[in-house]
Parts: sequence; C-alpha cells; structure tokens
Amino acid sequence: MQEENAIEVKNLHIRYKCLRNTSIRNSLFKLKKNKAEIFEAVKGISFDVKKGEIVGLIGKNGSGKSTTLRAIAGIFSPDEGTIESYTESVALLSIGVGFQTRLTGRENIFLSGMLLGFPKEKIQEKMDDIIQFAELGQFIDMPVKTYSSGMFSKLAFSITVILEPEIMLVDEVLSVGDAKFRKKSGAKMQQLIKDANRTVILVSHNSDTIKRFCDRVIWLHEGEIKMIGKTAEVMPAYEEFMS
Amino acid sequence: MSKFFKDMKKFRKYIGFSAKSSLKSEVAGSYLGWIWWILEPLLFMMVYWFIYTVIFRRTGEYITLYILIGLTLWNFFSKNLTSSVRIVAANKATVAKVYIPKYALIMSIMLQNGFKMAISFLIIVAFMIYYKVQLTIYVLWLIPIFITLFLVSFGLNCIIAHFGVFVEDLRNVINVVLRVMFYMSGVFYELVSRGTGKSVIPEPFATLLSKCNPMAFLMTSTRNCLIYSSNVGYKVLAAWFVLGILLAIGGVKLIYKYENSYIKVI
Repeated sequence: MQEENAIEVKNLHIRYKCLRNTSIRNSLFKLKKNKAEIFEAVKGISFDVKKGEIVGLIGKNGSGKSTTLRAIAGIFSPDEGTIESYTESVALLSIGVGFQTRLTGRENIFLSGMLLGFPKEKIQEKMDDIIQFAELGQFIDMPVKTYSSGMFSKLAFSITVILEPEIMLVDEVLSVGDAKFRKKSGAKMQQLIKDANRTVILVSHNSDTIKRFCDRVIWLHEGEIKMIGKTAEVMPAYEEFMS
Repeated sequence: MSKFFKDMKKFRKYIGFSAKSSLKSEVAGSYLGWIWWILEPLLFMMVYWFIYTVIFRRTGEYITLYILIGLTLWNFFSKNLTSSVRIVAANKATVAKVYIPKYALIMSIMLQNGFKMAISFLIIVAFMIYYKVQLTIYVLWLIPIFITLFLVSFGLNCIIAHFGVFVEDLRNVINVVLRVMFYMSGVFYELVSRGTGKSVIPEPFATLLSKCNPMAFLMTSTRNCLIYSSNVGYKVLAAWFVLGILLAIGGVKLIYKYENSYIKVI
C-alpha cells in the first residue's frame, strides 16, 4: 500500500445554520430576528485516507456520516477546517444525477457522466460497457421516462460504476434491480472496491459489509470520532455498543 | 476570479451539452416541436400589433419589425430571469449529489434562451428582407449591444438566483417587476417619437425609462442600428456595459460565497 494521502480532513466542522427559506411576509413582520438555530452535524473531526485504502464510516443514524461524505465530495464546504483531496475525480456514488427523462438513455449517459466530471471521449469509450452492464438492450435509445423504475436505477448505477472514479464515496451499498442484477452489481462493487488503486470511503450500517471490505474504520458518534483504527479493533466495540 | 476560469474550463462542455439536451427534450415533448420557437414570437407580435394599430389607432413605419425586435430581446431577458429565480430548487436532484457551480446552471438556461433568441432573430432578418430595409455599417453596433445584454442578464440572474433560494416568494415579486418593466420598455409603443424627436411621455419619466431601464435602452439601440440606420447612445451603452461587468462579477462572487449553504436550505 502506498503511503501517499488521498484525502486529508482536518478539524472538520459542519453546521446547519437552519437558514430556513423564508417568505417576504415573514421577514417583514418578524423584524426581531429569532436567533438562528445552529445545529452542528460534524464537530471537529480529523482523519487521513491513504491512497488505495478502503475506509468504513460507521455510526448510528444522525451521527454525521452522510454529511461528512458529502463534504468530501465537495457538495458543501466545511464551516471550519479543511478537506484536501489529491486526485482529480471524486465521485459520490449516486443515482440518476442530472437525468432528463424525455431524452434517451444514451444521451443521459453523456449528461450524467459529464456532470460527474468525465470527459466526453471517455464516456464514449465506455458507452458499450455501460449499456451492456445495465442490460437495457434496445431500450437505450428510448426516452428514459418510458423506463421501469428498475431499468432506471440499473442505468444510473451502471454509469457510476463503469466510469470508475479514482476516489469513490459510497453511501450505503446500493441494491437495485432484480436478484440477478443485484448479484452482478454486488460483484462489480466488490471488484471496484478491491481494486488496489482505488480509494473508497464506504458508509454502511451493515457490519458484514464493513468487515468484508474495509481496512480501517472510523466510528462517528454525534458528530465526533468515537474510535478510529483497524477494522478488527473497532468493529467489536461498535457491535457491543449498538446491541 | 481564477476559480471562475478554472470552473468554466471544467464545466464548459457540460453547460453546452446540457443546454443542447434540454432543447432537445423540449422538442421531444411537444407536438409541434421546434416550430413553437418560430410561432411564439410571431403570434405575440401579432397580438401587440393588433393592440397598437387597431385599438390605439396608431400607425408607424415598420411597426411589425419594431415590435418583433422588442419582443426578441424581451423574451430572452424575462425568460432567463423567471427560470433563474428558482433554478437551484428546480435542479435539486443534481445539486444535492454533485458539485456544480450554480451559475453553470444559469449559463445553461441562458444558452437555451439565447438559441431561441437566435431563431427569433432569423424571423427579424426575414422581415427585414421583406421590407427591403437597407443595412448600414451601424449594424456592427449589434455586437456591443448583445454583449451588454448578456452581461447584464447574467449578473441579474446570478443575484436573483441567490436570493431565490432563501426567499420563497421572490418569484411573485419578479413576476410583477417583469410585468412593470415590460410596459415601461416600449416593446410595442415608442418611448421617444421618431417623427418629432420629442418624447411621447413627459420628463423626467422619458429619460428615466429610456436610459435607466436597460431593456428599453437596448431595444431602442437595436432598432436604431437595424431599422433606422442611426447611431447608438454609446455613452449610455458604455455605462451599461461597465455595470453589466460589475453585476456579473458581483453575482458570481455572491454565488461562490453562499452556494454551499444552498443545499442546506432547499
């Protein structure tokens, strides 16, 4: 394993300022500002992720796992602290980004892929793989709005996994499609995650998934790191805590 | 600012592609498809022509062309603004999952409306050929006029998009403001009479409306250089150009500063 850091998170704070969207009537008649409620979802966590490492993020609901993940993906910036990532493509494995339902599946592959930051040539190159993996056959040239929900999520899933971003952020292992596709996608995920060059941050409630894949585990509890270390060290403590 | 150029380079292709696919999906979803892009300005032109000549009993040279130019510019401006006010909420699914500079969404919308404006302009050209309007060197004024139009629009769109995230009913306000502006811009009547050179409406409203309202000024300028082969108030144009740059920079800065909190609100 290389010792280079892929992601460095330092003293990360994220607050939800309850910047509620307000109407003009409200702001006119409530001139006395009610104190903005501040909810701190992540309270100063720091950790590094090495290149090629697979790190699991665990914790109970509302402990700030997803928030941390989205901050790393750059969807919102930290209120305090820094996140440095040393690679080009960081992608949150997410479903159906930027789909235009009136367009065909093929066009949506381009749209979604470009939004995830891949150049057009690379998408073109991987096009056949995506179509094949999604098992859509001739439906790929039909408008996406005619797809069944299973087809829709199969396409969306295939786009992200086949394009293979360098750093992959996975929020709950996705289960889409029928049993056969689930098996296939599970295998593909495993292959992607196991790839030695890929850095993965995996959020999951499933202890088995974490134990199977992760080198290290970060246990978040109410926005703070409760424990960080090798999977074999953290998981027993976590399981005991949760039961 | 360097961040702006870096992001532009990165998202340039996406902006173009998403504009193109939105246009495509608009065509795919409607019965007459792209014919609407021609029909819409033509039909509205006829409505205002009816009001002007039949109801107000006025006549004017090239009145159809006059209205068409006004409408073309106005549609671009107002459609951008009405989409921008709720653009972040409308793209919630995308914004919540990947990072994209929010003004890229605005650019995509502007590109779409710009394309429709280009089609509308083709109709103008057709009318000009029909009326045998002589083109002169003044046509070159169109370049700075359109750059100014884009800058002012973009700046305003960014600012409105920002506040639109936090203020739910800004949309209603925008609708009223746009309606007022429409009637104050002289889309289908003359702010300043061409025959006498005197303003039709009393001062100080005439100056206020024709110079301080960017749309009125830009429409008048476009008509001047296209139909009447006369010069453009270049001082006012320069002022709006500078203001447009300032608005655009301000808008981009505003969005950069707050865009990360948008997703926490919507």
